[in-house]
Amino acid sequence: MLENILGIIFSIPFAFSILRITTPILFAALAAVVADRAGVTNIGLEGIMMISALTGVIFSAWTQSAGVGLLCAMVIGMLVALMIGFFALILKTDIILAGIAVNMLGSGGTILFMYLASGDRGYSANLASKVMPSIDIPLIKDIPVLGQILSGHNVLTYVALLCVFLVWVLLYKTPLGLQIRSVGENPNAADSVGVSVNRISFIALGISGVLAGLGGAFMSMGYMSSFNTNMTAGRGFIALAAEAMGRGEPLGTFLTSLLFGFADALANNLQSLGFPAELVKMTPYVFTIVGLAVYAASTMNKAKKIRHHSKTKKAGAAQAGA
Amino acid sequence: MRKSLKFEIIRGAAAILVALAVAMVFIFIISDVPFQALYNLIVAPFTRMRYIWIILERMIPIIFTGLATCVMFNANQFNLAGEGAVFFGGLVAGACAIYLRLPPVLHAAACIAAAMLVCGLTMLIPALLKTKLGASEMVSSLMLNYILLQLGVYILSYHLADRTQGATMSHKFLDTAIIPTLVPKTNLSWGIVIALVATVLVSIFMYRTRWGYAIRMIGINQSFSKYSGMKVAATVVMCQVVGGMLAGMGGAVEILGYYDRFKWRQLPGYGWDGITIAILAKNNPIFIPLAAFFMAYLRRGCDLMQLNTDVPAEMLSIIQAVIFLFFAAEQFLSKYRHKLVVRDAKDEIAGKAAEKEAKGVEA
Repeated sequence: MLENILGIIFSIPFAFSILRITTPILFAALAAVVADRAGVTNIGLEGIMMISALTGVIFSAWTQSAGVGLLCAMVIGMLVALMIGFFALILKTDIILAGIAVNMLGSGGTILFMYLASGDRGYSANLASKVMPSIDIPLIKDIPVLGQILSGHNVLTYVALLCVFLVWVLLYKTPLGLQIRSVGENPNAADSVGVSVNRISFIALGISGVLAGLGGAFMSMGYMSSFNTNMTAGRGFIALAAEAMGRGEPLGTFLTSLLFGFADALANNLQSLGFPAELVKMTPYVFTIVGLAVYAASTMNKAKKIRHHSKTKKAGAAQAGA
Repeated sequence: MRKSLKFEIIRGAAAILVALAVAMVFIFIISDVPFQALYNLIVAPFTRMRYIWIILERMIPIIFTGLATCVMFNANQFNLAGEGAVFFGGLVAGACAIYLRLPPVLHAAACIAAAMLVCGLTMLIPALLKTKLGASEMVSSLMLNYILLQLGVYILSYHLADRTQGATMSHKFLDTAIIPTLVPKTNLSWGIVIALVATVLVSIFMYRTRWGYAIRMIGINQSFSKYSGMKVAATVVMCQVVGGMLAGMGGAVEILGYYDRFKWRQLPGYGWDGITIAILAKNNPIFIPLAAFFMAYLRRGCDLMQLNTDVPAEMLSIIQAVIFLFFAAEQFLSKYRHKLVVRDAKDEIAGKAAEKEAKGVEA
């Protein structure tokens, strides 16, 4: 049994599937990074992904262009995120509640609109929607093993990887990023030096909406080729955990997203080995809780060590003084 | 105080009106028979006694999840695992209803107690992760929902399933475990009475006991509570365990009162409804049944709308989300509140001036 599992883990299709499965989580986790660094918790990611996934399908079917579908998914994602911002920042709804409301729209509202667009409640099968193309990367595709793993993915998978870099640039190499980080660190201080806190929070939410929209579009126009109800299955929430474990850093979040992708990919394969499907489906979520606990424990230990360290230092200084 | 209550009521009504207006816009876009749809949504649920019984039936599980949310949100614990706890509570109660052998009443009580115990213990996971390790209870409780669902479906399909049935469902519950119906010829069970008793008990717990006081104070100001000597961590854990117990109880009462076999294979959605209800009730347990009635009424209206017209019942989620957003919006109608306060103050000043004048005249 163990040999079988190891055989799967060290196979090329498995490594390939990790990247594929990581993509939507990575988009959403990066969305969480941008929002969280500006000090706003965007728990509506799950709902935004659902709404964008449906939007992509509907508009690509109407226009017969995957590109237009993708664009609409991104725009809708941004608008929904800005709506969260409007309620949370202007009308002072608790942002967590605003996010929950968006998730309600995402699970029920999408069924409503899918029914209107396709006359079906479960699948968008009778909508002739488009998918984003897969691409081979020149040069890399010719490298043995590595080429088979890295090349031939959906174009959005590469966009997701690129976004890791772009989000890093945004946060650390641009004036806007500095403002986002300063608003997230200490809104009062940022305000006192003339940064409009609300404006920056809105911008961050907007970016986070676009990223989550990309993740949603990938679900229905890459990962699968149609929309079905509850298709994101908690990925928006897993992304929040990935972001927390990645300490809000783009690269760290990328690595934790990969971990979740790994757990998910493993779960898919264990099912084919005859484990009960339900128990296998549990694993990514169990893994998330365990990961969250381990991460939280490690930060807490670190904080304790620092406190302990400064205490002994102080004690030492006091002794020296005496 | 009374002015602010009046304002809250006006604001709540405004939020509901906005939501209905949004729904109306959608209905006019979607439907070929918009007026018929609106009639079915708003008026029809009250037109037959049978519909009213159904509304009361549907109130039962969401009262429990509403109460659970109330207890947890009052301490600012955004634990969202009520959804999973309802599901799992129903499963545990169902399993006990099949396998335990006890006299009537006692059997049902044992099933409910088992569900409460299991769900309360389950909530220790997000609660202890929060207090011991500082991990967000929100994320872990969301994950817990999916874990409980998959675990529950696994237990149902591999250990409880009745193979003689076409669909996946458990064996039949023993008669001793069934919660009897309250009103003959309806599905309304004694569960509604249990729910109302629970409401009273939770209200007493929140407003008349030390623990309830600690929960509310922690919600208002955690640092203050900590420095005034309250056991913050213990209270944070306790409120989530109580929340889990209430949600589990809701699942148990629903399963034993409404079904004769366990057949949920999806999360039932009562946990999210409970959150909406808690928001509508402003986290005050006493108002939970009222809010639950409203939600159940809306649900019935949406179902009737789907049954009789061309508008899908999922319209409910849009209405629900809009109510949710505006109801929780502190600044919604804040200008109107300012006006109220100003008018109030002016009246008071005028009153005092008049009093003084009167005294002056007397003197």
